[in-house]
Amino acid sequence: MRRISLCLTLVLCAFACAAGAARANTTMQLSASHISFYYDQFLVEGDGNVRVTTTDGFTVTGDSFSMDLKLNRFLVAGHVTLQYGSERVTGAAISDFLDFNRIYFVPVTSEPDRWTFLNGDLTHPVKGRVMPGDVFAFPQLPKTPSITASAATIGTKNFIHFFGATGYLAGVGVPLGSYVVNFSSNQYFAQNSLTGANFDATFNVAGNYNSLSAVHVRYDTFNHAYLAFEQHFVGSHDYAILSANPLTRSQRYFNFIGYEKLGSRFQVQTFTQFFIDQGIFFQALPSSETQTTYVNMTEAFPHSYLTLATNFTNYNTLGPGSYTNPAPVCTVPSATPANPHPKPVCVANPAGSLSHPTQAQLTWTSFQNRILKLPLFEQTYFGYGFNHDSVGQQYASPIAVNGLQAFGGQCVFVKSQPAVPCPTTYTTIYNQVVGITAFLPSVKIGGDNPYKDYYFNAVFNKQRQYNSLPHHVDTTTTTLSLSRQFSRPVNSYLSYQVQNTGDYYLQGGYQPCTFIQPNPPQPPIPCPSSLQSFTGVSTLRTLTLGINYDPNPDFNASLVGRHHDDFPIPEPNVFPLPALNVLGQPLYNNYLGQPPNDLTGDVRFHILPHMLIDVQRTYYFNFGNIRWSPAFIVQVLPQ
Amino acid sequence: MMVRRIVATLAALLTIALIAAAPQTIAVTGQLLAYQDGFVFFTTGDGFRAAPGIAIRGINGGPTTLVPAPRVWARAHFDPTGTITELDLSPNALPQEGSFGDVARFAIALSSPVPNPDLQAYAATPAPGTTLTAVQHFSGRPVLVTFIVQVPPNTAFNASVYITTDASGWNPQAIPMDRTDALHYEITRRLNSGTIFRYLYDRGSFQSQESAENGLQRTPRQIVVTDADVRVVRDTVYSWNDTLNGTFNQQPNAAPTPYNPAPFPNLPHGLPTPGVPGRPPA
Repeated sequence: MRRISLCLTLVLCAFACAAGAARANTTMQLSASHISFYYDQFLVEGDGNVRVTTTDGFTVTGDSFSMDLKLNRFLVAGHVTLQYGSERVTGAAISDFLDFNRIYFVPVTSEPDRWTFLNGDLTHPVKGRVMPGDVFAFPQLPKTPSITASAATIGTKNFIHFFGATGYLAGVGVPLGSYVVNFSSNQYFAQNSLTGANFDATFNVAGNYNSLSAVHVRYDTFNHAYLAFEQHFVGSHDYAILSANPLTRSQRYFNFIGYEKLGSRFQVQTFTQFFIDQGIFFQALPSSETQTTYVNMTEAFPHSYLTLATNFTNYNTLGPGSYTNPAPVCTVPSATPANPHPKPVCVANPAGSLSHPTQAQLTWTSFQNRILKLPLFEQTYFGYGFNHDSVGQQYASPIAVNGLQAFGGQCVFVKSQPAVPCPTTYTTIYNQVVGITAFLPSVKIGGDNPYKDYYFNAVFNKQRQYNSLPHHVDTTTTTLSLSRQFSRPVNSYLSYQVQNTGDYYLQGGYQPCTFIQPNPPQPPIPCPSSLQSFTGVSTLRTLTLGINYDPNPDFNASLVGRHHDDFPIPEPNVFPLPALNVLGQPLYNNYLGQPPNDLTGDVRFHILPHMLIDVQRTYYFNFGNIRWSPAFIVQVLPQ
Repeated sequence: MMVRRIVATLAALLTIALIAAAPQTIAVTGQLLAYQDGFVFFTTGDGFRAAPGIAIRGINGGPTTLVPAPRVWARAHFDPTGTITELDLSPNALPQEGSFGDVARFAIALSSPVPNPDLQAYAATPAPGTTLTAVQHFSGRPVLVTFIVQVPPNTAFNASVYITTDASGWNPQAIPMDRTDALHYEITRRLNSGTIFRYLYDRGSFQSQESAENGLQRTPRQIVVTDADVRVVRDTVYSWNDTLNGTFNQQPNAAPTPYNPAPFPNLPHGLPTPGVPGRPPA
């Protein structure tokens, strides 16, 4: 545990230090009697006792201030004083075009004049130089500001930090105190280490060119309302993101995401999640702790790239005797002549899973290459890797371990004795993967009328994975689709997809359908939906019809109907529905036992110029008494 | 009769002469930049002398509580000498009256105008043989921009694809897109011309953002919205950060894979789990 903490700290420091080394920009300190910010236009306006100090080395005071954060220029007007060093001049207005290194000034000595300062040289004004026509123009402002404040720090082209801020939502003021609006073009500020939520109000309480600290007020259907915290450290080629989510619940996830690009062809990224269950106020000893870490590295070549993906997980970092899992562990001892029909032995789970699955996969992937001059592309890949001790989180040792790594293993238990772990036959399995993807991006069928033409495309993927067990898995995916734009707002597509997975053992493997459990004797179980005859091959066939209605940029509606014709045939209550994420959506798109028919409607519309609402729900046609998806999925999406 | 006509004509001419001889005022509306040191400044940057007894009135000519200050709109009355004798103030934008071109000669500046090389692109008449650089003008009017993206062939068929942009603080779900066929998504947005739009595609999170063709994280795409009725932007996403070829699908309930220990976790009692020779708990 200490080693892990030390490693994490070192990695964090390395990323943070690298991130902090980015180039500085012009920073302005603004104070005024009243400061307003208009989010729609990224305008900052100030009136009364305006004072602006810049890192370029001058101070301006005046009556009014106006800055367009996107155009990166500002204006101070009315009783202006410009002070640089020991020099001080007065005037009517000053306008600084920061991107162009031009300062336009209207001094008033005996009479007005026009001066232009070039390239930051405030000691040698160019007098009388003609100025751009809009250099002193005030913008037209919306009626209501988004934020008001008494002071602000502006990091040009990056952020504005308000002090004494009040935010306005539908005209109602909400005290924010310290608040940062980040408008950097650096996309790493968007790195999000939080899980999804139905609603997320983000309060950026502090920040600068290289960092951003945010408190999130969130709601999801699992945790309900809660707080979360996220910290960004961002550079031009690297970032480090940390978060605690949910912060105000007993079960917390601490996440760390790091990225570093070294040179132009190599990158390393890492993700670590640490889970702890320790009471809302950290008041109790932790009852559960897990950790998982991913480290991925990519090296780019002229027409391909090489990726090393690794993962290391500890299901229980607390050790034996500390894991709270009320579920008892039950096993059936082997039959003996003295006890031909042994009964299951159940013991309390003492430790939870002490497994530490480790995986590494090295994969070479080609670019997408066009085949001859046909509208056909291919992409190939192959890889080599291993998987160690991957027994599954849901299994608490010691029990009979399912899965390939226990293939052939036998558990031995003695009644009234502490259970011992099952011997695992294959602790490490090596694999080799080779695959090819061919696809036809788009072939037009028809004439030149865009509302009558059809477009056809197809995707084919074949992959084989050899394992050291010995054993191999073939996966084949074929997708065909036909689409048409019926009018400007209406388009539709029809698609058919077949996903086939073949799981082939050289010996043993899946039980035949004729298998009858001999011990203890039970009546033969009928083969429900051919499940018992499962031979390691599954086929998922999906026919999809989608219709989109997109009348204007403020409204979208879509309807997607799917029909699945799968093997094994879905049987209610045999294959459970997949777990839902916090939004209420299934975690996986295609899975064994999915209802044969589903219809999903999705409507999106703007409620504010920069805010969208997305409402979605799925109907399952009463499969296994399931009619609707558990709830409407409603998301508020700031734009 | 004749005398009457002559007298009337003379009277009319005299009236015209008197009117012509009377001092003329020019009224111009604009937004104030400053009012200080005996000068009135408009947002054109021009400064005009204010009369010592300048009248400050409301826009309708009545008294007002407004004072001349930055942002305030005003109708300025110039006397024939170019001095502003009256300011009619309004907090709201005023319709244009007069033209600052008519009063430009009254603007006061100590220095003589000097050409600005920065503005040469707008020179009226280029010198013969001069090679002009194309200058892009933007009106700022809304333009319908349609984004069409081709996604990687291994994209899950019912995946959601979004556009993330700096205009929304890189919110990964800022602009949801609609699937239009097996490989394409599309969305139309209204953007003002002149907008520099930086963006990337993702599947709803930063972890699922697009990567470059060479597998590395890519820099944001960028378009400059030019004046047009509509614009179509076509992009190709080569891969997603979180989906690497050859890695394993370990999700529960997925089709069996070597590392998926329980593809059928809810088997009926007594039914053996495929692939495991032992028996599950009773």
